Amino acid sequence: MKRPAVDGRMFAPQMTAKLGEGDDGPVVLAPAVGLWRDGPLPGARVVAGDPLGTLEVLGTRYRVLAPAGARGVVRESDKARLARRPVGYGDVLVALDPNVGEAAAADAVAAAAQSSGDGLAFTAPLSGRYYAKPSPDQPLFVNVGDVVSVGQTVALLEVMKTFNRITYGGDGLPDRAKITAIVPSDGDDVDEGDVLLRLQPA
Amino acid sequence: MGQQRAPGSFHRLFIANRGEVAVRIARACDELGVTPVFGVSEADADASYVDGREKVVLGPGRAALSYLDAPRVVQAARQSGCTALHPGWGFLAENPTFAALCEAHGVTFIGPSAHVMHLMGKKTPAKRAMAKAGLELIPGSEGILADADEARQVADRVGYPVLIKAESGGGGRGMRVARNAAEVESAFDDAQAEARAAFGDPRVYMEKLVEGGRHIEIQIVGDRYGNAVHIGERDCTIQRNHQKLVEESPSPALTDEVRARSLSAAVEAARAIGYVGAGTMEFLLDADGVLRFMEMNTRLQVEHCVSEMRSGLDLVHEQIRVAAGAPLSWTQDDITLTGHAIECRINAEDPADDFRPAPGTIATWSIPDTSSGDVRVDTHVASGYRIPPHYDSLICKLITKGSTRDEAADRMLAALGELTCEGVPTTIPMHQAILSDPKFRAGDYDTRHIPGWPKGA
Repeated sequence: MKRPAVDGRMFAPQMTAKLGEGDDGPVVLAPAVGLWRDGPLPGARVVAGDPLGTLEVLGTRYRVLAPAGARGVVRESDKARLARRPVGYGDVLVALDPNVGEAAAADAVAAAAQSSGDGLAFTAPLSGRYYAKPSPDQPLFVNVGDVVSVGQTVALLEVMKTFNRITYGGDGLPDRAKITAIVPSDGDDVDEGDVLLRLQPA
Repeated sequence: MGQQRAPGSFHRLFIANRGEVAVRIARACDELGVTPVFGVSEADADASYVDGREKVVLGPGRAALSYLDAPRVVQAARQSGCTALHPGWGFLAENPTFAALCEAHGVTFIGPSAHVMHLMGKKTPAKRAMAKAGLELIPGSEGILADADEARQVADRVGYPVLIKAESGGGGRGMRVARNAAEVESAFDDAQAEARAAFGDPRVYMEKLVEGGRHIEIQIVGDRYGNAVHIGERDCTIQRNHQKLVEESPSPALTDEVRARSLSAAVEAARAIGYVGAGTMEFLLDADGVLRFMEMNTRLQVEHCVSEMRSGLDLVHEQIRVAAGAPLSWTQDDITLTGHAIECRINAEDPADDFRPAPGTIATWSIPDTSSGDVRVDTHVASGYRIPPHYDSLICKLITKGSTRDEAADRMLAALGELTCEGVPTTIPMHQAILSDPKFRAGDYDTRHIPGWPKGA
């Protein structure tokens, strides 16, 4: 799984669930074999990219994110609510009702549009202060029009006095992509999940 | 012990494999009173052979994301309540990291310990033990090759042509021949790439290529208490691109003197390295009649049925018992090998079209009568079975026994005639040609040529 290289002690590894089609609406499917826990309660709103719950694989807990295209409200389930439910690959984690709360759905669409725009987006893996260059008198890490590849440093984020190199990569992003816009300005404070770069496949 | 569950045996066993071997292991579980749980990929989840069985879907059809993904497999075994795992052959069967992962999570890996597997993986300790037990070796690299440069140095030392082989290999995958120094680098790269794709392990080693000769192997079983026995040898000379096609026991090419000496040396070596479970030592019988040790396979083999037919023993039962901590059920004196057994591997390939693999749906499938006990059919397919394109092409093994080699061969021809597979081409016509070829009947062939095939050659 490609993820931005960040401090593993601070950030849970994550997986993106799969989207399936159930009898009456979309369903979110397990992306791997494991023990499913901390799932959303019935009635919770689900938007693509949201953390849904945790999948425990051999003691490692993966944060499971809602897949692209997932939107709706979690349905009541007749499955016993176990603290840790064993699931196989492709088993249903939650069933969604897309028709409940039109406003919620509209929100979801808006959120999806914001995160992906008309192309791809590379988002901040953690909250902190954004720096576009290694030091004030050096050139930018990347410029609009550059092609970035996985593992390439694109920014620094200062978090609790520590500078973290942010490297390009992540689920849903191609190995190489062309930068169409750099969103924050040098020195801006960004939140986890804010868009840093807008991209298009190279 | 009989058919009862031995005290301390497993209650639930995870089958980390697919197809014919998964069915074979499940049969042993049923007989021993152990509940099997199948790990399946999405491509196999609806196959008829897992109907009504407990199963866990591991991942998508691609093996790298299902059968070869060690953490998924171990997690699936744990969450289905299994305390033992049988890896079958291929996939993760000879991966010491996987065996260690099983042990670390409280799942008994049915096979040798990660440590012994790792030692055998290096091949050097195995070779040293065999040399000490009085057997000849094939010259080659001392263990794993670091890079193409080292490969070239070793090749220059042992002489061309050389064979680069996958460490975790088997079934002829991850193998390349280099006939001169210029070919070493590409052979090394190709073998590595293929080994990584097929076994999840890119390590390769080198041997001098002995051209021709016969492929002979010895079946070993050991327990945790220092006991080891052999169950005779098998002759697997009839191959295509290192893929075995026909196996038989005893070997028609071995003299009684060489056979007796090699069998006891193999047992001695297995005991010396502390081998536990079922394993196979592979040899090449060169043109001068010298039996040279090649490698040890630390797993059950596809052709184990040949030894079972001759001995009347069940190797998978014994693997499970030994893994549960039981001592071997037999001493060497208890094992009597009778008659002659032959196995044909039926692959979904078109032998008339350069063995083109042919995934597709089997419209009609019917097997020969096995009630006599002289014919055995191991298969996972049935009418309507769709052969997925992700895995190897083996669909069935046909094994026959006779009091003589000719009787076993005649019985095989009859069984091949009764086996019906419509919808996909198979290697049945090739086997019929081999079994009726005078050169096969006379035992006059080596690993380079398939007797009787292609027809008229």
